[in-house]
Amino acid sequence: MKRPRIGVFKFTSCDGCQLSLLNLEDDLLGLVDLFDVAYFREATDKPLKGKFDLALVEGSVSTERQRDEIVDVRDRSRILIALGACAVSGGLQALRNWASLSSYTHLVYPSPLDVRALSTSTPISDHVYVDFELWGCPISTSALAETLTAFLLGRRPAIRGYSLCMECKRRGIPCILVSRGEPCLGPVTRTGCEALCPSFGRPCYGCFGPKEDANVESLMRHFQNMGLTAKECLALLDKMNSYTYRKAHLESRS
Amino acid sequence: MKVDRKVIRVDSLSRVEGEGGIVLEIRDGTATQVKVTIFEAPRFFEGFLRGRSHAEVPDFTARICGICPVAYQMSSVHAMEKIFGVRVDPSVRDLRRLLYCAEWIESHALHIYLLNGPDFYGLESAWASKDYLPILTRGLGFKKLGNGLLALLGGRSVHPVSVCVGGLTQVPRKKELRAFLPEVEKAYEASLKEIAWAAALPFPEPDLDTAWVSLVHDEEYPMNEGLMGCSKGNPMPMEDFLSAVQEYQVGHSTALHAGVRGDSGLEPYLVGPISRLNLNHDKLPMEIQGAMKSSSIAVPIRNTRMAIAARTVELAYALYEAARLIRRYEEPEKTCAPYEPTAGEAVWVTEAPRGSLLHRYRVDEAGYVDSCTILPPTSQNLAHMEKDLRLFVERFADKPSDWIRKEAEKIVRCYDPCISCAVHVIRVS
Repeated sequence: MKRPRIGVFKFTSCDGCQLSLLNLEDDLLGLVDLFDVAYFREATDKPLKGKFDLALVEGSVSTERQRDEIVDVRDRSRILIALGACAVSGGLQALRNWASLSSYTHLVYPSPLDVRALSTSTPISDHVYVDFELWGCPISTSALAETLTAFLLGRRPAIRGYSLCMECKRRGIPCILVSRGEPCLGPVTRTGCEALCPSFGRPCYGCFGPKEDANVESLMRHFQNMGLTAKECLALLDKMNSYTYRKAHLESRS
Repeated sequence: MKVDRKVIRVDSLSRVEGEGGIVLEIRDGTATQVKVTIFEAPRFFEGFLRGRSHAEVPDFTARICGICPVAYQMSSVHAMEKIFGVRVDPSVRDLRRLLYCAEWIESHALHIYLLNGPDFYGLESAWASKDYLPILTRGLGFKKLGNGLLALLGGRSVHPVSVCVGGLTQVPRKKELRAFLPEVEKAYEASLKEIAWAAALPFPEPDLDTAWVSLVHDEEYPMNEGLMGCSKGNPMPMEDFLSAVQEYQVGHSTALHAGVRGDSGLEPYLVGPISRLNLNHDKLPMEIQGAMKSSSIAVPIRNTRMAIAARTVELAYALYEAARLIRRYEEPEKTCAPYEPTAGEAVWVTEAPRGSLLHRYRVDEAGYVDSCTILPPTSQNLAHMEKDLRLFVERFADKPSDWIRKEAEKIVRCYDPCISCAVHVIRVS
């Protein structure tokens, strides 16, 4: 059987999600056996050529050039999977969507004119059709392994979409929100990290983005009743998945 | 007379983190253009860090780099703790150093075996040849151990969650940490042989006289603390380093360049494993110094291509130090020291796997960020990479373009450039 050609593409990101591929240490040799890793700049010299059975896309779209590049990647690929918070949600850099770009560039670069960046950072799905989205900042390696296995078997990846609270209850972790009165995003956040932060004694800060039908508005009201200001509430949402939390917030208001 | 001119381009560097390329132009044996082009999209961290709480900063800066998030968390929390006058528990200090060891292990193993190693065997990737598989397997073993330690201490290897201003949100039980010891000790023993392997790789000339910059520390091989050392001057407090160097913008790069102020103006300098080793080799345990000697690794190292050997020495050291820290670990009474935010400003430098990483923050009386500067290792190295390339190109100008192109890529790769980090150089307004 011909091995499926896989391509790994990077847009605006920290490289952490594509690193998760290399972090599949025990399975890496199996992976390069089962797939023809035809494009993956972080790991091989192979030039960009031909069509792909599967494209894994990391990062958000934040420059002119990337707008064209993502269309090209889509054209070359039978299945396209967006990897991680930047690709599914615009990433931390999407915080500039709520500010003016010029207020940022001059703080970083002496001559901002030389820097060609769009005023927004947006998820891949804002630009092309995405077959599947893998959430997380970073994605979990086990979810990545499941996604690749599912692809080989021709089924949909079995990734849970319920809230983090379920995971905490299952693991018997005392509720940070109720027992300690700290603002935890668990009730509105997708599981995927195995309730990592609560298990480390801190509130969830939303690496995996909003769960489906998240009632963000209700949680924000609860935080305000706890004494948080509106600004502090917004800061909780405005992190790596700011773009999707804000969207979920607006949807839960209407 | 016909001018002999050739232009050599690498459009997109491979086996590096992030997006960059190389442009070389040679006229009659002289390098008229030497550029490491950086087209990674900037993310403007400074813009959105302003106005955020100091407590959020380590989670934010971690996102600058998926390969060395611990380094970003460490430089951030140390700077904040300096502003607020926080003293962390000695056991927490040890655990943070252990966390850093784990990141060095994971990051160095990635570079040595997956990214840089294939260059010495003429391979396009670490899995391109069956003959390289045993080497790759060894590397994956080290990498997995580093990632395992990171997961124990921080929950996960990419963007761990335990580091906070004041200490750690949670610490491991003594028993859990001890369980790692046999494996770490075994890996350390194995790593000594890796030094001999790396030292025996073929390193092309030339040597380079240059300024090495790294933290230096009286008692230990530097990670989280120390003075800024430079081979061309006396060690200085961290906060003086920003005035000793200058960042500048160049048209071909979204990352700023940096130079150290010298007698003849701004001079490129080198940060990373070679500089650290050159300035701190006497702090290494005798056994590792012995392994270096028997492998004929002489310090100072003047050849950039030998970075892989320096990295392997540091891999061994990180494993040695990890074992030492695990052995003496006692659970702290308090994982996180209490503090009150106050207004102030501080600079802190820690040693990321790729070199010195400087953070500067100014916060208001409520502990919200007013302004910050982040000086990542790769952007400090960019000017040096170009100096290195120029020297190489002029020496081998008459060689075929294809050969020069391949070698130029290898030179840049020796720096383990992390371009995703480099474009987040943030400037004092």
